[in-house]
Amino acid sequence: MDTPDAPAVTDTPAELSQRLAVLLGQISQGDRAAFAEFYQLTSRRVYGMARRVLIDAELSEDTTQEVFLQVWQNAGRFDPAAGSPLSWLMTISHRRAVDRVRSAQSATDREARYGASTQDIDHDTVSDEVGSRLEAEAVVRCLGTLTETQQESVRLAYYGGLTYREVAERLNAAVPTIKSRIRDGLIRLKTCLGVS
Amino acid sequence: MTDMDNGRTGRSGAFGDTVAADLASGRALDLAELYALDAVTDEERRAIEEYVATAPAAERASFFERVRQSRETLTRTFTVEEEPPADLFDRIAAQLPSQVNGPDPTAAPSATSATSVTDQNNPRLDGSGDELAKARQRREERRRPAGTRRWLAGIAAAAAIALGGVGVGSYIADQNNPLNQVVRADDVREASVPVAAGGTATVLVSSSKDALVVKMNGVPAPPEGKVYQMWLIPKDGSAPVSQGLMDAEALSKPAVVEGIASAASLGITVEPVGGSTSPTLPTVAAASLGA
Repeated sequence: MDTPDAPAVTDTPAELSQRLAVLLGQISQGDRAAFAEFYQLTSRRVYGMARRVLIDAELSEDTTQEVFLQVWQNAGRFDPAAGSPLSWLMTISHRRAVDRVRSAQSATDREARYGASTQDIDHDTVSDEVGSRLEAEAVVRCLGTLTETQQESVRLAYYGGLTYREVAERLNAAVPTIKSRIRDGLIRLKTCLGVS
Repeated sequence: MTDMDNGRTGRSGAFGDTVAADLASGRALDLAELYALDAVTDEERRAIEEYVATAPAAERASFFERVRQSRETLTRTFTVEEEPPADLFDRIAAQLPSQVNGPDPTAAPSATSATSVTDQNNPRLDGSGDELAKARQRREERRRPAGTRRWLAGIAAAAAIALGGVGVGSYIADQNNPLNQVVRADDVREASVPVAAGGTATVLVSSSKDALVVKMNGVPAPPEGKVYQMWLIPKDGSAPVSQGLMDAEALSKPAVVEGIASAASLGITVEPVGGSTSPTLPTVAAASLGA
């Protein structure tokens, strides 16, 4: 499928995943071209998530930079048995962004984060480049199987970078209730999406 | 509106108010989603990881499976994208250090001998520990006379830049975490050995990951002015190699030792604060690493 001029086909999540796994193998051997392609395929996701969590552009750039340096250094540690390459990358990215937002931002900013993370409660857009239309539809449909409170709690935690306790405070709900919402919401999403 | 969340999935009922309570009441598995979502504090994350590290193998496997599935789910669900600044890639490329995990250790920049054991007085749970551990492993492969430590200064400095501004507790996601790599390895073996001062040391060994995890259980804090120091005793009879210190605080955390292929056993001694360059005998605990 490869041609000298065009990057490998990465239209569907499965194709993207395969390609990223190959690239990670090459990156672990010090292949800078593979690193550049990996960046090209994924940097919009990493930066986009960082912006949603951190809001501040400069912090988001710093975080993106840290994430990709970590990819360069740790590509050899990627273990396909433990998850897809994109999941590996986004796990690193989310963790970095959350670390940043918790350490760097003041309480005022955290209020802003709360606002930002609740703005569009329905669904995220899925890019033409990376997700197929079917995938986007599945996500929208599956998010719809969550209760509104489950969606809200998961989203506040993911994009707000809030702990379950902070989510509970925001929503004025009992801590055990919020834990259950997050657990049950994610399990329901997983089941609906057929994540195995 | 009544919350319909509780019990909807037929799971194990109500959570407690704290992660500690959930762990104590046997609900570690139900924390997998919160853990995967980073919806816990650093302290809680560590508590969960420590619990899971020494949990029964089946529970550990189930926990990781749920974490993995949760992360796949989140990755597919939250897909917002934004174009980063055009020059960001160049800025990153300009900072790329030599490959830390590259296949050829001899390709590393020239090493300087340096430093005491104080560079490793933390459990290797943080991201920087990865680099320290790798460097240590490489050093062991090309070991100099006892007491001299090879150190990959260039790489260490680069890693420090990459991690700059992020404090303790910012260790990287669990798949990268050497602790989790060991405990979830297919070939992990477990042994508990008594510690002279009381309690036990549980050692999880994975040959495939070339690493082990040490977890102290009920071991008293070292005497005033002393620390526990871990050593790998090489198969070839050469001098023991320090693998780091455990003070009273570190005692409650699992520690990862990487680069164990050439080691016959693990020993723990009591040493003055700051550690020693060679072990003060007798060991307070020792575990054979033989297969």
